[in-house]
Amino acid sequence: MSTHNTTFKIHPSIGIARLGNAQDNFYLAPEQPGARPIECDEMGRETFDKDGNPVRVANFKDENDLSKIRKQAARFKIFAYKDENDTEGTEVLKGHTYNFVNISSITAPTTVQGTVTDINWTVHLANKKASWYAFKQTQGLHGYAPDHPLRNPEVTQPDLRRQLIIDPGPLTVNLKHHLGHFARFDSDLKQKDNSKFRKVSYPQTFPPKDIKPNPIDTLGSVMVNEQDNHIRLIVLGGEGNSGSTKQPVITNFVNNDGWFDDISDGPVTASIEYEYEETIFDGDKPIVKKQKGTMDVQVPAWVVVGYPRYAPEMEDMITMDENMFDLFVREMAYRPTIYGVAPFDKKSNSPSNPEELRLWKNQAHFNPDYFPKFYRDIWPIFRRPNDYRFSYDFDNFSGSDPHNRGTGGNLNAAVLGQVPINGKDPCKRYREFVYSIMRQTHQRNVFEVQNNTNKSFNKPRLMPMLCGNNPLDNTVPDKFLSMTPTQLFFLKQWVDGKFVNECDEWGEENPNCNNPWASPPTTGVGIDRGVLGNVLGGPFCPGGELSWIVNNPAIYSEPYRINHANYIPGQLSLPIVVDPNNSPNLAQGLEPGDLTKYIGIPWQADFHECTVQDINITYDDWVNIHLDSVGDPAQEKIAYNVPWWPAHRPIVVFESPQGPQVYWASGIPGNNAGDLQMVQAWKDLGFLTTQGSGNDRVFYQVERNNEALGEPEQPGDRIKGHTFNEEN
Amino acid sequence: MSKKGKQKPLYEQVKDILNTLQGKNVPSYQGLHAFWLDPDTFQTAYLYGQRLIAPKEDTTTTQTTSCCGSKNTAPPQPTTPSNCCGEDTDANTIQAVPIAPEGIAASPRLSQSDPKDCWPSGGSGGSSTPIETSKRSDRSAIIRGLKGLPPFDGSIFPKLLWDAAYEATPDQIAIIASWIDADCPVEEDKSKDKEKQQIQIKAVQLSNLKASLARGESLHTVSTEKTNFNTQRCKDLHVRKEVSSLTKEELDTLREAINCMYQYNNFLQDERSYDHWARIHTDSCQHGWEQFLPWHRLYLYFFEQTLQDYDPSITLPYWSWTDYSDVNRTSFNNLQPDLGVLPEAYGCYLTQKGLDTLKDDPNANLNTKEIAALEKIVKKGTIYNSGIRFLKAAGIPYEIINLNGVATWSNKIRAIYRVLRKTNPLWFPNRWPGAMMSPTQYPTPGDIDNLLALDNWSDFGGGPTYDHHFGALEKVHNGMHNFSGGTNPFFPNPNATFASAKEWVAVYEKLGLNPPNPQSIENPPFGWMTDNRITAFDPIFWAHHSNVDRLWAKWQERHNGTPQQMNGALAPWSLTVQDTMSIQQLGYTYMRDTVFYDVHNDVGLQKFNSDKKTFSSNTLDLHRKAEIKIHRVRRGNLHNVYIRIFINTPEASVDTPTLNNPNFVEELSTFHGTCYGGPGHCDLPLSKTRANDLRPLHHHEPRNYKIDATAAVARVLNAGAKDITIQLVVIGIDGQAVDNALYIDGVSLTFFD
Repeated sequence: MSTHNTTFKIHPSIGIARLGNAQDNFYLAPEQPGARPIECDEMGRETFDKDGNPVRVANFKDENDLSKIRKQAARFKIFAYKDENDTEGTEVLKGHTYNFVNISSITAPTTVQGTVTDINWTVHLANKKASWYAFKQTQGLHGYAPDHPLRNPEVTQPDLRRQLIIDPGPLTVNLKHHLGHFARFDSDLKQKDNSKFRKVSYPQTFPPKDIKPNPIDTLGSVMVNEQDNHIRLIVLGGEGNSGSTKQPVITNFVNNDGWFDDISDGPVTASIEYEYEETIFDGDKPIVKKQKGTMDVQVPAWVVVGYPRYAPEMEDMITMDENMFDLFVREMAYRPTIYGVAPFDKKSNSPSNPEELRLWKNQAHFNPDYFPKFYRDIWPIFRRPNDYRFSYDFDNFSGSDPHNRGTGGNLNAAVLGQVPINGKDPCKRYREFVYSIMRQTHQRNVFEVQNNTNKSFNKPRLMPMLCGNNPLDNTVPDKFLSMTPTQLFFLKQWVDGKFVNECDEWGEENPNCNNPWASPPTTGVGIDRGVLGNVLGGPFCPGGELSWIVNNPAIYSEPYRINHANYIPGQLSLPIVVDPNNSPNLAQGLEPGDLTKYIGIPWQADFHECTVQDINITYDDWVNIHLDSVGDPAQEKIAYNVPWWPAHRPIVVFESPQGPQVYWASGIPGNNAGDLQMVQAWKDLGFLTTQGSGNDRVFYQVERNNEALGEPEQPGDRIKGHTFNEEN
Repeated sequence: MSKKGKQKPLYEQVKDILNTLQGKNVPSYQGLHAFWLDPDTFQTAYLYGQRLIAPKEDTTTTQTTSCCGSKNTAPPQPTTPSNCCGEDTDANTIQAVPIAPEGIAASPRLSQSDPKDCWPSGGSGGSSTPIETSKRSDRSAIIRGLKGLPPFDGSIFPKLLWDAAYEATPDQIAIIASWIDADCPVEEDKSKDKEKQQIQIKAVQLSNLKASLARGESLHTVSTEKTNFNTQRCKDLHVRKEVSSLTKEELDTLREAINCMYQYNNFLQDERSYDHWARIHTDSCQHGWEQFLPWHRLYLYFFEQTLQDYDPSITLPYWSWTDYSDVNRTSFNNLQPDLGVLPEAYGCYLTQKGLDTLKDDPNANLNTKEIAALEKIVKKGTIYNSGIRFLKAAGIPYEIINLNGVATWSNKIRAIYRVLRKTNPLWFPNRWPGAMMSPTQYPTPGDIDNLLALDNWSDFGGGPTYDHHFGALEKVHNGMHNFSGGTNPFFPNPNATFASAKEWVAVYEKLGLNPPNPQSIENPPFGWMTDNRITAFDPIFWAHHSNVDRLWAKWQERHNGTPQQMNGALAPWSLTVQDTMSIQQLGYTYMRDTVFYDVHNDVGLQKFNSDKKTFSSNTLDLHRKAEIKIHRVRRGNLHNVYIRIFINTPEASVDTPTLNNPNFVEELSTFHGTCYGGPGHCDLPLSKTRANDLRPLHHHEPRNYKIDATAAVARVLNAGAKDITIQLVVIGIDGQAVDNALYIDGVSLTFFD
């Protein structure tokens, strides 16, 4: 047996649970981008079909009640890594033997061969939104000015302000104490809690019980199950309850004083219980004694609770995995073959301290000899836009389909994926055209292709034609979205013919060639990335499940891992202007609630409003201009109806595979009153399911609760007295 | 494995192995499919930018594979052969020409593609590639891929072969590697024994020949090596020859080097780029005072050093203006520009290959009449002194078009010029040689003699900063700049004395190009040689200045004057005026022409008898001095001898009289003596030169003798001889023939201007 101490890591590194209001009815988070969630039993044990594949959910709501959305559980596993050369790892098995570091009070740490008996999982969820600064686009990524407004600014006494945090305290569960609730001690839910330290008291903070319309008694629950000798953790989020201490009105898309919601996030840690045999000597006589030990998992994880993903199989234009991958590639030497210093190998690209990292960053650049893979790195960028015609009627006037993936379409994989053949490159000009309209990072305030010699009035629009981080005000305008620098580098290599079509080269029969995520991931890293493939990766204004804080390398201990802070339970940190003695220190790590505190409150408001945006493109440098004030005769130019994220918040959807198109949120007006209505109506909205495959796959709406929302309206309908103009 | 005799040829084994490994499914391999089945594909193809079989390591030639940087780091993309490593690269060379006079950096370029790396180098230096092993197989993608080494380690590509039935075993990889390291033989080589035999036979023949040569029974033949190859072997100075004395090989190498330099012109700071050097003149040249000569001496020196990086045998030939004074004074005609004559090496001509290129080029769009005319030109091999004289001979009108308001060559002219420039990179399109002023501007030999007779630096070379003025040599040099650049017959000028300039006013009017831009890049009023900002873009610049430098060196032999400010720095180099005072110290000398005879130094020389060498009538008529040199005479423990030197006396012997013999040149005696010392003390020194060695010459460094043969050569030429032979007769100091006293490396005869 190897003498290396086993390294234990929790996967996924960032798990994603989602709110739901159906009691004890949940499914497991998908672990591949664009995959449907996975069906499970009441303990969260994954169900398999007879071929051994995971069963995908058939319905997203309670089968008997279209106003009850099922929760999505985040499932965590522990992987054991034999040594530093072991990059794949294997999931820890109960009854299996590993090399544990045994720390006893008598001896120095020793390595013992221990047999796993149980795992103590500890999770601490919190919601710090109401205690945090007000959101202001583009501000806060690297700190706030002292006069930056707070949410609930009237609460400035630290202890009082700490009451704005929802902090139910940590929960520890294992096979024997398998269920815990992040609920008030005096609630009914807490009675069901059998977690390990349930009797230990904790200075819980919850909002007042009388917030309206929906009080918050819990942030969710945790449970431990055992499946095929694997001891796994299930984390469930809140009920989707949001309420205000005042008369509930919504006045802003992200900052609403007095409001709380039950979104949350926090650290996931574990310690492994094991048994080992110790030989002691009585004189010369060896005596073998059975001993017990526990060892903390060295590499812990994080859990984030988001709101429901209504179109789970429709991928965002930039996924969180892609967004983070770019960050880790360029800031943390994550993939030296892509970005680093020559010769782009691990050896030359392993900065081991901050000084070396600074040096590395000065010298590193994209590897001009890197060959991206077409279906893994390029095609997702071109495959996604055509799906959005099922969630947004983006071309309802011209009727043409610029994203057509079929024969003759702009985005035909057979053409775009054609590598140069033996020195000939017949498809280069097609690639060049597509590349020419991809927005570069320096063109984030530019609407149309520049330097286009086309004399026609309309120049091609730069793609993606989606909103950027700040299309709202004049402070650092960032009007439109561009793909990540790493993706743009892949595209540059691709247009130059430096790419591999993995379907040509290694296996058309292998489903992974045109869908690298075809088979459920088996490695820890595969799960990490797959899970984040279903999280919105931008733009961040403030974002979907997570905000731009994910783009700050300081919050990570290693790629894809949130750095855990040491914190005092019941004394979570507050903005520095409120409590200078206990304010966040990004260098030390994050606390429960530190990831989700940056997004809107209540979540329903921003979610409802992020449909389309009219963006002023008169001048690149400004979003807002005020011509009237000086009688400036310039003509304002507006880019109308630029969508935010059609996969994340559907706008116009199909009622059935054949149509017709209807407004997804019809019944909920596009104004602040609608935002308030969304606080209740989110649970009645439909989910998008799919039919067919490949280019013929269609998305359409199911499980919409028309009883609560009324029949869906079609574009052009004006019967309800409000328009489709849902922009904020 | 079967027995050795029956073993399959290596390549068959390689195919079998790869077929077996791959199995039934053959992936596309970027359209190459089963690339190993075709030996040519296998040896030349790239798989996703990776050369499957690395090219042979070659340190001397200029054949490298990389197109975008140093060797092996960025192989050319097979995807874009047309603008990376294909024919079109050469198209860039023509683009090296037009450098905007107003903004030198604003050089228009047709293509942004990188050149192929034609420049020899010592390898990557380790900065950008993994540690390079010398074995060809280790550099080959097929071997790296089968072994799973980067980039086939999964980081960019999976291990080779893809979709394979089996993974390669180390034994199988070793067989393929051995085939590659044997330079990929497609058939087994059975001729090795034969070769050995032949080598033995040759060795016997050679030793017989050596004996016969040493006795003077066989003739020592004229060396066919490049002059500078021989001078380097004999540890002599590099020789700058008169340009018409360059052998075809010497001229070809110079042209190759210049052509290669053109290919780096997109890289402004790359000192392998020709334009980089041309811009140094633009930025730093010194004229009109005493630094003119020193500065240009260094300018040529550093440029020549760069050329010698390309090939150590290259030196800058010189353009002896006065060789052409008669013809240029006769052809003077102030009603017609572009009538001057330049050295043929700088003219334009067409080869069959160039013509084929033009025929295939739709831009050239040649009609049958033009093709017929060009075929005639190719056949005759005529060399034209300017591009428009070539066009006229071919019946092709010179065309300018209006491209966005800029006077630009038509596609046809551009296509033709491109081919002409590729054929002879020393030719330059914007050069219309000829004098439009008084014919007396063109210097005669007498003018130059007068110049060289000036006995003080100030008159000859110019004045210092505080009393600056042009020197006499520089003034002559100025005129030759203008002569070689000349006047463009097709630049519109209503007041011109010649018709074409007036006619072109109307041409420009039609094109909407009036008023004509005097700063035009492609159709300027005067040749680029006339403008000191851009003059060095014309390659004749170097031959012109080599001649200036030669005349100064010649003057230095006769006079003692120097500039006043000897400590003046010569930017951009960190050398001073003082450092330029000796061309020998800078490692070169000037010769009109020279001939070298190789002598075997392992057999004692009794008599040297050279084959005939015919020199050009120019050389025989115009030389100032003829010199015979005996190279590297050995001196350790050898008897002293007399060497009698004759010319044109093949039968010379100990008995040939010396007194009143017009063919007798000189008798010299050696002075060696005996040598005693520790083991090896009397051996030759190591052949390598040691930098910074300040010790005196090694006592056993072989020595040289220089013999002035001017008078004797004059005598035999006056007597009607058409060529010269040299004889050395070796006599012991006792007056008897001696066969083991003289060991030398060679004999040469040189004519100096």
